[in-house]
Amino acid sequence: MPAPVRLPDDLLALMRRGVSVIAGSRDAAMRPSIMRAVGSDMSADGRSVTLYLVRAQSRQLLQDIAATGHVAVVFSEPATHRTVQLKGSRATSRQAGPQDQAVLARYLASMEQEIARVGYPPEMTRAMLAHRLEDVVAVTFEPDEAYDQTPGPRAGTSLGGRP
Amino acid sequence: MKRPTLGDIRACLEGAIPAVLATCAADGVPNVAYISQVFYVDEQHVALSFQFFNKTRQNILANPRATALLLHPVTAEFFRLHIRYLRTETQGPLFEGMKAQLAGIASHSGMEGVFRLLGSDIYQVEQIEAVPGEPLPAPPARAARLGALRRCSERLARCTSVEEALNGVMATLTQDLDVRHAMVLMLDEAAQRLYTVASCGYPTSGVGSELRVGEGVIGVAARERTPVRIGHVTNAALYNQAMRSSFEQDVPDLQPVTEIPYPGLAEPHSQLAVPVLAAGRLLGVLFVESPHDLQFGFEDEDALVAIAGHLGAVIDLVQARPEAPEGPEAAAPTHSSGSGAALQLRHFAANDSVFINETYLIKGVAGAILWKLVRDYVQQGRTEFSNRELRLDPSLGLPDISDNLEARLLLLQRRLQEQSPHLRIEKTGRGRFRLVVDRPLQLLEG
Repeated sequence: MPAPVRLPDDLLALMRRGVSVIAGSRDAAMRPSIMRAVGSDMSADGRSVTLYLVRAQSRQLLQDIAATGHVAVVFSEPATHRTVQLKGSRATSRQAGPQDQAVLARYLASMEQEIARVGYPPEMTRAMLAHRLEDVVAVTFEPDEAYDQTPGPRAGTSLGGRP
Repeated sequence: MKRPTLGDIRACLEGAIPAVLATCAADGVPNVAYISQVFYVDEQHVALSFQFFNKTRQNILANPRATALLLHPVTAEFFRLHIRYLRTETQGPLFEGMKAQLAGIASHSGMEGVFRLLGSDIYQVEQIEAVPGEPLPAPPARAARLGALRRCSERLARCTSVEEALNGVMATLTQDLDVRHAMVLMLDEAAQRLYTVASCGYPTSGVGSELRVGEGVIGVAARERTPVRIGHVTNAALYNQAMRSSFEQDVPDLQPVTEIPYPGLAEPHSQLAVPVLAAGRLLGVLFVESPHDLQFGFEDEDALVAIAGHLGAVIDLVQARPEAPEGPEAAAPTHSSGSGAALQLRHFAANDSVFINETYLIKGVAGAILWKLVRDYVQQGRTEFSNRELRLDPSLGLPDISDNLEARLLLLQRRLQEQSPHLRIEKTGRGRFRLVVDRPLQLLEG
């Protein structure tokens, strides 16, 4: 049995707060797909991660996740480059609904601050994360691999899960 | 909707906002990683910075397909590049251009010492996808560079001398392109050094100051014959032209006394150096800089490359033109001899340096030329000279016609202008000039 993913508290806090989230998958021909999420959320026990994708921006990615279950997600704090990558192999998707609205609003507020720290105005962040709830899909997975990806000597260090 | 071309999205390739790359391992596990630099190579290719031996690296070697997500730094529009890994370059023009830009990105993002370019991974761009979204309005196009280039082209087309060509380029930079600090350096091929022949915007002209090929942004542009552009100049000694220590102690002819200070900004924030080439040969470097960050974009680089190309062609052409026929010698005010206190000129044969009244003036080929002129003046009373006789004079050690003699004469002329108003060189026609002497000369060896 692989060791369970145990994320350090500071990384968990960063992910809960709401930083840049980019998700990737691949199709049957091993062609990678990629898009930025417009929101993210963690379960209370920290085991389950949900990210929000705009359907029209992420057609291939959502199709690949549905077909393969594979998802790779990078969380990164823009001002510090503190970065972690999570990987899951049994991701599921659902249409976002009113119950997700508060999460998305909180995420946007956090990102406006994060992006402002690197010198961009809130309009930029709002354009980058623009979405209508009816176009948003929530993708949930339990990470079975995690890696520290902060640039530097420790980049690539496994934080648990499969090697 | 028309698919964007790579040229349409070059603003996304400036390194302002990091790109993100998805790859896939041989076992089917996808991977996502930030990429500091997606560099425009041409309309079909990009180069990604290879900085770490990481999962991305393993994946593209096993499975060359990758997808990059780019964000426009002003409109926040997303683009996806579907790309295929071809090869890695670890030296040469592309690598050096990227390395310099990455140094700027690293400095800008507080990653100095962490970001280091191990290679330029070159990818074929198979498809560019504009991602639907709600982008902000595009920024208005900046002052028409095409009009500036046209005026530069017109100025250069009228030039009959290297001096006029350099003045024309400086006028374009300052009047049409809003550049405040610029210089042109010419190559001394034998010495592998670059010497300043023109500058603007600095407290001292620095004409005659020298840099080694390979040294700093200017030297790397010369060595690799590629534009080098940094939007956030790092303190890394490699790129800091002004921070350089004085020339190596082991080169005997480069005594500090013969060093003219480099005129450039002490704390530049943006720099762009473009090689001046003609007929496949490096003639020199056109260089601009600014005390502000991110001052020069890819469009400025495009404009400077076009200007440098035209400048190179003009320099080559005016130097290759036949000299004007011999004029009536009698018309010249021969041996005016001058009055007042004598100018004492001292020549050191070891490096052909010439001092006037014990103040350093010039050395090298330009020094040898001056020494020949003043000797001919003192011994034979000559004041009229031709480029041709200088080229044919074995004592000057001019390598061949490719030596940029016009540029050397211009350097000499400008140094005299700045340092010694009583001794001048005036052009009298194509390939001809006059030595004007207002004071008696006293020549000393060593």
